[in-house]
Amino acid sequence: MNELDKIPVRQEISVAEGNVKRSNPLANVFDELVRFCQSRSMFMLHYCTGCGAIELPPAMTSRFDMERLGIQPMVTPRQADILLITGYVSVKTLKRIILTYEQMPSPKYVIGICSCTVNGGMYWQSYATAKVLKEYLPVDIYIAGCMPRPEAVISGLRDLMGDIKSGRADNWKRYFQNYDHYLGNQQQLFGEDWQTPTDIIAEAEHYGLMTDQTLGEHTALLQKHQQPLEALEFSLGEKREKIQGENPREKNNE
Amino acid sequence: MRPENYEAIKQPPSNEFELNFGPNHPGIEGNYAFRVKLNGDEVLSARADAGYLHRGFEKLMEGRLWIQNIALVPRICVPDPVPMEVCYSLAIEELCGLEIPERAMWLRVMQLEMSRLAAHLFAFGGHAATTGMYTPMFWGVADRDLILDRFEELTGGRVYSIYNIPGGVRRDMPDGFLDRLGTLLDYLDSRLPDYDSLFFRNQVFIKRARDVGAMTQEQALKWGVTGPNLRATGLAFDVRRDDPYLVYDKIDFDIVTEPGGDALSRNLVRRAELKQSIRILRQIIKHLPSVKGAVRCPIPNPLAWNVPAGETYTRVESSKGELAYYVVSNGGDKPYRVHVRGPSSMHAVQVLEKLAVGSRLEDVAQIMFSLDACPPEVDR
Repeated sequence: MNELDKIPVRQEISVAEGNVKRSNPLANVFDELVRFCQSRSMFMLHYCTGCGAIELPPAMTSRFDMERLGIQPMVTPRQADILLITGYVSVKTLKRIILTYEQMPSPKYVIGICSCTVNGGMYWQSYATAKVLKEYLPVDIYIAGCMPRPEAVISGLRDLMGDIKSGRADNWKRYFQNYDHYLGNQQQLFGEDWQTPTDIIAEAEHYGLMTDQTLGEHTALLQKHQQPLEALEFSLGEKREKIQGENPREKNNE
Repeated sequence: MRPENYEAIKQPPSNEFELNFGPNHPGIEGNYAFRVKLNGDEVLSARADAGYLHRGFEKLMEGRLWIQNIALVPRICVPDPVPMEVCYSLAIEELCGLEIPERAMWLRVMQLEMSRLAAHLFAFGGHAATTGMYTPMFWGVADRDLILDRFEELTGGRVYSIYNIPGGVRRDMPDGFLDRLGTLLDYLDSRLPDYDSLFFRNQVFIKRARDVGAMTQEQALKWGVTGPNLRATGLAFDVRRDDPYLVYDKIDFDIVTEPGGDALSRNLVRRAELKQSIRILRQIIKHLPSVKGAVRCPIPNPLAWNVPAGETYTRVESSKGELAYYVVSNGGDKPYRVHVRGPSSMHAVQVLEKLAVGSRLEDVAQIMFSLDACPPEVDR
């Protein structure tokens, strides 16, 4: 029997504290200023994951012009703020989406566009797609429709801007706080040896977001299967020494 | 002396390396990936990595009613959805022996050509963006949006119209639609010289695209290339003329060919097809008011519709190439088997893999956009 089947996936518990008022009034003003700046300069990752991406060029270019709101496409995940999931997510794509999401720096926001990210949409009976996106990633805003018009996309992005400005858009913290829940769902889909190069637990410690939901049986399973990521050359060098018993370079020198 | 179990470590030469090109890459079209092996920036070999958009369409269609699949098929090819609906409807009509009214045929041809215009504007806009020229992309997308407005007026949907059903079209067009379409065509016609001076006769584009991704006519026929990409190698083959469906035999239009077979020729063919599509639409505007009658023939209750047993293969010319449906019915209320012969699955996998070899890394995206491959249709 598969080891994974014995472990239930935990329920997600909302432990996000929202907008915290600090004792220093100047610090509160500074926080507000930072949030205002964050909401007005958002870079969204240029990753067309599904068919809803066809409505993004009209939304970005001259007719609807997303750039007037300070939203621009960005090519690398390391500099992006928003991850747009445009439509159905096949299992193969979902792996890349999770890899990409974990590479993005916090604070980061996920927007699920199209009905397929909400409940599977047209492909509710498909064997190849993941149905409910929020089981695998914390989603900030859903924009329903098949497919939503550019006006709807821009309206959803404006909602997100309002949330960021008022400090409510802190769903990225849930990924660290409920990592065991999200990892459990990912393992159910991808198998128990699923792993990513990003060390989420270390990041959760760094941000001070460790809760009792972060670690659990699924993260224990991850650590059991995790292989250290080493440079390829390094491992090759060690193997050579093991086989030959001595360093070949020195022998040649003699 | 080396020991007996010594094996020399096989390492590739240090000047060769592999690069993952996509799926998260601005140069790739849609959700699609490539593994290219490079020497410097010269591509030694390329391997397509498809499957990111696989939804199992052909299996899904076996589990749904004939009429439910109408909502499913346009999702196969997102930039050019209308030929999907029309081709699937034609297949069912052939199985049932339905004779659709003439007005429905003209309305279908009108949508097909509007969809072709929109797809070509999108395609060369994307190509322009990969060569660093963003203005043609902005213009192309903005002009495509005006066509989508007409689609919305006619069908209610911007991208997926779901307007064609077996037996005809869902409803007649609104009053004054043809006048507004004519105004749009005048506008698009006036834009074509601007596109020429900005993009198609621009030396930046011509020098980048000439002799890039070139194939001969024999290679194109061997690799299953169809559509504008085949016509760019000099062969005048078009399903609209050589195997006419609907009312294309009553319409006067030219099959445009270019001799080069490279990325430049493929774009010039699309540029000429914009003109031809406008010409076809003008003829439709002139002729359609004289065709009276119903827009669909009576069909049985679509929720309990047993299509007679049989098999058929219907094909239409989409903006990407020859699109065909092979439909098998065993007399039930659901299809027994549906196979989609999409043009992009040839263009984006086997053709692109071969054309990319020997080109430079910055041209791989350009070749893909010049082939106008559509990843959702590759994966299905």
